[in-house]
Amino acid sequence: MKTYLGEFEELVLLTVASLGNDAYGVSVQLEIENRCNRSISIGALHSTITRLEEKGFLKSWLGGATQQRGGRSKRYYEITQAGKKAVTETKSMRDELWSLSKVKLSVK
Amino acid sequence: MKTPQPPKLARKLFEWYSGQANVNDLLGDLDELFYLNLKTKSAFASRWIYWRQVISLLFSYAVKKRKKQVRPSAFSGSTFSFAILNNYFKIAARNLYKHKYFSIVNVLGLAIGMSVSLLLIVLYIHVSTFDNFHTNKDNIHRVITSHVNTEHDWGLASAPFSIAEEMNRGFVGVKNTVRINAGFSADAVAGTLEIPVRGFYTEPNFLQVFTYPLVKGNPATALSKPNSVVITESTALKVFNSTDVLGRMFEMKNVRQAKDSIAVYEITGVLAEPPANSHMAFEVLISFSTLPAEYQTYTGDFNEIASFGPQYVYLLLEDNKVIPTLQSLLNDLGKEASKRSDTKISFRLQALTAIVPGEELVTWGGSLGPVWENTGFIIFGVVCLLILLPACFNYTNISIARALKRSKEIGLRKTMGGLKKQIFFQFITETVLITSVSLLGGLLIFYFIRREFQSIMVSGSLLDLSLTWQMAVAFVAFALFTGFIAGFFPALHFAGLNPIQALKSQSHKQSSQGRIRQGLTIFQFALSFGFILALIVFGRQYRYNLNHDFGFERENILDVQLQGVKPEQFRNQFSQLAAVQNMSMSSHVMGIGTRSESVTSVDSRDSFEVFEIFADHNYINVLKLHLIAGKNFPNEAWAREKHIIVNEEFVKKFKLGSPHEALGKLFRINDNDVEIIGVLKNFNYTSLMRPIESFMIRVDPRQYEVANLTVTFTDAYASLAQMESAWKAIEPDKKFEAEFFDEEIRQSYDFYISFLKLVGFLGVLAISISLLGLLGMVVYTSETKTKEVGIRKVMGATTTSITFLLSKDYFKLMIWAAVFAIPITVWLADFILPRLQEYHVTLRFADVLLSLLILLTMGLVTIASQTFKTASTNPAETLRSE
Repeated sequence: MKTYLGEFEELVLLTVASLGNDAYGVSVQLEIENRCNRSISIGALHSTITRLEEKGFLKSWLGGATQQRGGRSKRYYEITQAGKKAVTETKSMRDELWSLSKVKLSVK
Repeated sequence: MKTPQPPKLARKLFEWYSGQANVNDLLGDLDELFYLNLKTKSAFASRWIYWRQVISLLFSYAVKKRKKQVRPSAFSGSTFSFAILNNYFKIAARNLYKHKYFSIVNVLGLAIGMSVSLLLIVLYIHVSTFDNFHTNKDNIHRVITSHVNTEHDWGLASAPFSIAEEMNRGFVGVKNTVRINAGFSADAVAGTLEIPVRGFYTEPNFLQVFTYPLVKGNPATALSKPNSVVITESTALKVFNSTDVLGRMFEMKNVRQAKDSIAVYEITGVLAEPPANSHMAFEVLISFSTLPAEYQTYTGDFNEIASFGPQYVYLLLEDNKVIPTLQSLLNDLGKEASKRSDTKISFRLQALTAIVPGEELVTWGGSLGPVWENTGFIIFGVVCLLILLPACFNYTNISIARALKRSKEIGLRKTMGGLKKQIFFQFITETVLITSVSLLGGLLIFYFIRREFQSIMVSGSLLDLSLTWQMAVAFVAFALFTGFIAGFFPALHFAGLNPIQALKSQSHKQSSQGRIRQGLTIFQFALSFGFILALIVFGRQYRYNLNHDFGFERENILDVQLQGVKPEQFRNQFSQLAAVQNMSMSSHVMGIGTRSESVTSVDSRDSFEVFEIFADHNYINVLKLHLIAGKNFPNEAWAREKHIIVNEEFVKKFKLGSPHEALGKLFRINDNDVEIIGVLKNFNYTSLMRPIESFMIRVDPRQYEVANLTVTFTDAYASLAQMESAWKAIEPDKKFEAEFFDEEIRQSYDFYISFLKLVGFLGVLAISISLLGLLGMVVYTSETKTKEVGIRKVMGATTTSITFLLSKDYFKLMIWAAVFAIPITVWLADFILPRLQEYHVTLRFADVLLSLLILLTMGLVTIASQTFKTASTNPAETLRSE
């Protein structure tokens, strides 16, 4: 396996992808909190985002100033080609494991 | 209702922590979350969450990474490079070269300021090497004694020998004990010459415990037999003119402990020359068994310091872990000793390496060698700072004042992305460059003052103040340190400049800076004032001592050292000379040195220590002492001591009533009863540092060592020649030693001259530093005001009025300095003078006025020299370019 993605890293990448054009700090955080029903700290989230940027899976740019945030701009995130490849690899590895499973995994 | 705001403090904290890093988006996220939370939660809960989020961010990798990536502009780098250091040096060198005048003022001031500190560094490093040459240095300890009662609080370097005996009784952990009696002094007989030598009586294991290698002889046995002596190479050369002296006999005269004061010892060893940087200084070591038995041990009362004064006890320990147990044993010994007297006696271990430089200890009847005390270094250190700091202030002052000239450069650097700390570092580098140049200048001055300094110091001649590599390292470190002190404020100031204002050449915070500068100038002038005043007051104290009425005659009295000649013989020979009017014998020279004896009243049983001199019946006449009651000693053959003559203080101390009532009272001195036959008016029998206490004159021809001759010279040279030949007739072997009484008294206050020299020298340094600083400031303001002066002149101002205008502010500063300095110096003088001397001068208004006048004159001359130059420039010259 070429790349390693942590569970939280994968979660962040997929959430950024799911938010499309509206992926910035607060929206990513709220989306993860709502979907996973767990509270995450902004420090942990941004640490992960920074590492993903370092690995080249995410890219970011600063948006324009908005009124509701006291004139402070948002930093938007987007998944890169390498990021897409990484989540795909992770998914295919999982699928492979699912298909190889000797026990019935899906439980309703 | 106002909507609640996010907690400001948390935001401030986050912004401060992030510094230059861009965290705007994070702050936006935090705010957005806060307002979102407000919809569902209370304001307090929302704030709480905000705080938690901030704290999670403070410790997060995200912010750390952003901080690391900060690049204020395309041109700034966060990594250190030698190219930029090179650039700093280049800029600094160019600036120094461009503003030669200020560079010279700064370098000169700092060089002067640093020179004294260099002396301190060299001295301290040299003194720190003391006793480091001993192989066992970490395990050797000395036992020292503390002796505290209502009259004194003494720390003694010596300890009774009985302690060593106690330790030898099998105390585990003590490898070896060494007893030293430092009281040996004698004159070595070398052919027809007599050479004074000093040394110790010590045990054979001295040579094992301490590292003093023998070049000849066996160290194990050299000091075991009685009448053996080990001498140093230089002594061997001095006395025998050869170092091949093993087995030869060493003849000595005037040995204090020997019976007939003549002794012959066998040389059993020759020592390699002992290093000078040791707290022990000796020329000979005599075997311990040579000492008479009563000196070899100690049986007396610990209360009597003098009886164990020259006894020193050293211990060599197995390792230093036994110190606590050893100390408790010593504590017990001390308690035991204190029980028997009202003095609290305790013993303590002092590590060999802590002896020099070390605490102040008293020695009694024989010291081991040179001692340097910590307190001396502290005082010297403070003085050095008082000289160094003003020099640093000069730099600070001039740099801040000239900030405007550099502000364009700093503005540009900041616009291009120069960080605060980078600008700070640049200016520190620049200052360090200046202090390094000053260090060279300081070294030059140091070479000149070194010898003078050594001549002032008491044991300066023993010092080797040559440079070593440790000193070179310390000097460089010192230059860096000075650079940091001097450059700190200017660098901080430059680093804090606002680039916009700096580029526009507007200065900011002008008023607060100005106040700091004024404060520094005032401090310098106050210091200079203090030095001038000290010089005047101490000079006056010196003259006071010379002209003080001691209460006895000092003129035309010649003191001749008897040097063992019988007083009778001397009297017969010298009374025939025409120049000699009158003659008296005494035990020592009055007014210099003292001796004392315990005296007990036969009636009241009161007992006090009384100062004394032994003298014959002529003494009162020769010295013209004033008898207020009773009569002089009878002129008769002396068989037994019967009478004493006392002073008024004696009568008062023993509560004898009036001087006349005191006559005939009996006192016991050394088991002998004597009667008061006369009372003298009080006079200064000792140095003016001490108050007049009870004093007595006793008669005992065996004690006479000095002849006091009243002389009238018509031809001084011929008369002295006659005296010399008279002396040769009775004692051909010894040199005629005579000195005028007033001259001897003058010499006993010579240390004031050294002191005045020192204060004067330091004062000159302090004053020249502050004048240099003043000069720098005046030149700067005059330069910046040339245009203003030009316009004023065109409008009709006169040269005088402009000179006055430019000088006014500085004059005010000097007045302020005087206002601060006068109360402090007056208080200091009142504090120091009585402690220095019992009979002292008091500070007079005239002294203060004179000091002020000197200070103002020097300051004004400095100021006027520059302001007048500016004021008299032709306005056409300065205004032409406008």
